[in-house]
Amino acid sequence: MTRLGSTPLLETQGDIDHSTCRDLETAFAEAINTGARVVLLDLAQVPYVDSGGLSVLFSAARRLRQNGWLGVVGPNPNVRRLLELVGLSADPSFRTFDDRLGAGAALAEETGAR
Amino acid sequence: MIALGRDFSRVITVKAEKIHLAEIRDFVESIGTELGLGLERIFDLKVAVSEACANVVEHAGCGTTPLEVCADLQSGRLTFTVRDSGSFHPPSPWRDTFNNRGLGLPLMVALMDEVRFMRLPDGGTCVSLSVLLPA
Repeated sequence: MTRLGSTPLLETQGDIDHSTCRDLETAFAEAINTGARVVLLDLAQVPYVDSGGLSVLFSAARRLRQNGWLGVVGPNPNVRRLLELVGLSADPSFRTFDDRLGAGAALAEETGAR
Repeated sequence: MIALGRDFSRVITVKAEKIHLAEIRDFVESIGTELGLGLERIFDLKVAVSEACANVVEHAGCGTTPLEVCADLQSGRLTFTVRDSGSFHPPSPWRDTFNNRGLGLPLMVALMDEVRFMRLPDGGTCVSLSVLLPA
């Protein structure tokens, strides 16, 4: 786990499927347990996400819902399509960014507004 | 390269274990690539077939059960058939409410042109996922 400013940023490579999504779930739990309001996940190096991975994203967004959100960075067009298809993109506690610059800007804007 | 006008059939058999899902997706991708399908269509097929297999794996238990995936091209229709010797477990609404499992079936239905579930005479289940190829 790295950080973007003070926000935890999870980095992962390769497919997120039923055989690998438990690791991601653990990483989210660790990041959320540090008291983070927002958690970011970089998907730029992830070619494929299945329903197991999508479930992990749903539950992370749900856990952050009260006063924060989950942001994914750089999903490829196919993964982005799945996020929309299952309704994650419509979740108010879920955001998608093209790159880290965009995520950083959204965080800075929130900090300025608080 | 498979000639588009020619029908064909291929099979992959693995143990019903999560670690083999990636291998099955590679099988789907190689066929899609050979047929010259678009990247989006190939991705859809990988998701649908992998989800059908994940369902089998989830209920297979110890992993000694074989999992067979057939690819058939017939009259411009590409079909992947997933067979297992156990029974297909449809997602339960109760379970879905609590942990978002069961996203697999809606994904299969949303991404394929046709999805069929069949009970086999030996007690197993067969899921077939089809896409119609452009003429």
